[in-house]
Amino acid sequence: MLDALQLPFFQRGLAEVLLLAVGAGLLGTWIVLRGLAFFTHAVGTATFPGLVLADGLGFAPVLGALGAAVLVAAGVGLLGRRRPDAHGAATALVLCGALALGVILASDVFGTQAGVDTLLFGSLLTVGTIDLALAAAASVAAVATTLVLGPRWLAVGFDPPTARSQGVRSQGPDTVLLAAVALSAVGVLAAVGALLATALLVVPAATMRLVTSRLRAWQLWSIGLAAAEGVAGLWLSYVTDAPPGATIAVLGGAVFALVAWAQGAGARTRAALAVAAVAGLAAAGFATGPATDDGRPQVVATTTQLGDVTRAIAGDAAHVTQLLQPAADPHEYEPRPSDVRAVSHADLILASGRHLDDWIGDVAGDAGAGSEVVRVGDAVPDRVRTDEGLDPHWWHDARNMAAAARVIGERLAPEVGADGPAVRRRAAAYARRAERLDAAIARCIAQVPRDGRKLVTDHDAFATFAARYGLQVVGAVISSRTTQAQASAGDVARLTRLIRREHVRAVFPERAVDPRLARALARQAGARVGGRLYADALGPRGSPGATWAGSEAANADTIVAGLTSGRRRCRIAGP
Amino acid sequence: MTLVRAEGASLGYGPRPVLTGVSFAARAGERVGVLGPNGGGKTTLFRGLTGELVPLAGRLECAGRCGLVPQTERSRLDFPVSALDVALMGALSWLPWWRRPGRPERDAARAALSRVGLGDAAGETFGDLSGGQRQRVLIARALVQDAPVLLLDEPFSGLDAVTSELVERLLAELADEGRCLLIATHDVDQARGWDRVLCLNGRQVAFGPPDDVLDLDTLEQTYGGAIVELPEGGAGVLPPHHHDHGAEGA
Repeated sequence: MLDALQLPFFQRGLAEVLLLAVGAGLLGTWIVLRGLAFFTHAVGTATFPGLVLADGLGFAPVLGALGAAVLVAAGVGLLGRRRPDAHGAATALVLCGALALGVILASDVFGTQAGVDTLLFGSLLTVGTIDLALAAAASVAAVATTLVLGPRWLAVGFDPPTARSQGVRSQGPDTVLLAAVALSAVGVLAAVGALLATALLVVPAATMRLVTSRLRAWQLWSIGLAAAEGVAGLWLSYVTDAPPGATIAVLGGAVFALVAWAQGAGARTRAALAVAAVAGLAAAGFATGPATDDGRPQVVATTTQLGDVTRAIAGDAAHVTQLLQPAADPHEYEPRPSDVRAVSHADLILASGRHLDDWIGDVAGDAGAGSEVVRVGDAVPDRVRTDEGLDPHWWHDARNMAAAARVIGERLAPEVGADGPAVRRRAAAYARRAERLDAAIARCIAQVPRDGRKLVTDHDAFATFAARYGLQVVGAVISSRTTQAQASAGDVARLTRLIRREHVRAVFPERAVDPRLARALARQAGARVGGRLYADALGPRGSPGATWAGSEAANADTIVAGLTSGRRRCRIAGP
Repeated sequence: MTLVRAEGASLGYGPRPVLTGVSFAARAGERVGVLGPNGGGKTTLFRGLTGELVPLAGRLECAGRCGLVPQTERSRLDFPVSALDVALMGALSWLPWWRRPGRPERDAARAALSRVGLGDAAGETFGDLSGGQRQRVLIARALVQDAPVLLLDEPFSGLDAVTSELVERLLAELADEGRCLLIATHDVDQARGWDRVLCLNGRQVAFGPPDDVLDLDTLEQTYGGAIVELPEGGAGVLPPHHHDHGAEGA
């Protein structure tokens, strides 16, 4: 615990969770009393259109989230006006509208990506000053509104008709309650994300409700439990290297289950449970975090492709930490404590660049990294433009990877001292192998008749590949670079007609994306369903696509087999 | 002094009235039994008196506040509130919205709880109290509201004989202090002991001292066909919630 406390990102996470706990624990009691748990869950998720707008128009995501949350609270307050206790249906209506608006904005208006995902999946490890300020503001608002309006919230919840008959107005105070919950939900977004917002806002209060029947005591205990679960969760996530948001949620659920169980158990069992819980946490506290610093230079690479090439070049001369995991979608990423620690200790940080992994800038800034971020994709020569700017999938042209290997060798060599010449040699060898692979893929694709070289994939990930190897990208199922957008019925109909008209032989689903839409499209247009391609990430260990070279060779084989109905194959020997 | 006055009042939830022709006056110190079948308009009258419903015709006036004492089942028994917290809710009716109840209100709530004989139970959780105690806490809330008129919705339902007696005595004392009490009840015999009765069945059937008003004819008009179905032999007139027992006996 003590060594963790010295890390700036851990200190900020701790401050964030403690600041949030006051508002979350306090409002949690009102949420439980007034039956607003669903609203709480919904309002965080319903910030989606605000985040898309912020990303598309270029203002702070927090403002977008806040604006959306306030509108959602006002909408629910307005719709639920006639039946103050029937917020459920009103919430469902507003949530549905907000999500639909978000999807339309994301798919058809902006085609946005990164900023949206990081907020929907927030992380305690990457909170910034704005997040801390927002958490403090949410807690101050929760305390202030509770002090002023708490008695009215209580009276209206206790006996609505009598409160009305007494002239206790409920609409104004109830809307303020919804707004305070919305503000807290947005505050919690940055820490644990929209999907786990209730872990801090509802679970601690629901747990303490089991053991106390006094409002004041319940409120104080809920704040205490929210803080304790937040701190313990952050600490456990540091020790076990799990994402902190999920750890807090699991811990909160476990404490609730234990307390509920202890309620029905005898005194002795209860004492034993308490001792076991404290001992478990203490044991975790004495455990030390996983060590990464083995004396060698530390290199961080964001994507699976970069991790693969960097490991090959570094050999034993440096320790390489790869942040994204195989078969994962790079558009969704929640850092683990070891990731942030690795970034904070890194001597060299390698990013793919071209907006694919912009989040690394936030992580590096929050971790207090000493190293600059080298965006390898910005240094490679071949630049293919798409409608949305430079294609970020530069590694699908093997000549680009050869250039990237040389760049990585140049940047890594000065960091490894005596191993510098060896690193340069390995980088040059890798580059040569990549060039041979490039030639082999080109030869292989050339087997496909020229008018049959037409590509339809899940999303626009193969513009660079197509440009280099003489294929034509006819269309993509999702006509946006992000996997977060959705295809409209009109898009699918247009693409179906296009596939028929162009006589496209096969549609290729991607590995990290749900293949059902691509399959349906192929069936409808009378095309074959090709094998699945490695688009954004490499495959898991042991699969043909576990290395970059293997994945490119496999892609070439899959495409040639698909476009020639299996009559031609690519048998490219591993480099 | 007249505290409640109705002149040809009609009340309803839409354009159609569910209670018509209400004309009566109740004075300070009086207990008025409000009789009628379920759906006869007792609760509607109370909602009109608290100002929740505006009369469709005629006039309905209450001098000062009307404190509603609902049936205890209408409250959330699972709420983490003490008897004192509930009594304190009465203060919200006259505090401005930005003021939370402070020490004076707290003292008033304690005094009200002592007044209903629950001074020692102020810290008890509301849901843990007995039915009679809960009823008295709700009366205390109306007292904190400082209302000269109390509207009690079946305050004796679900109470045993001893507790009933206790509440009955409390109501007598509150009336003696100069309040006007309107008590909705199904117990005709109990209402005979009060100062006035108001019989409602979609309209005002009768109003006056119980001895003058509570004859068989009025009760038949008040409770409709329910009476003729009752088995013979009962000396008094049985109100409709005894109907089930009659059916069992048949």
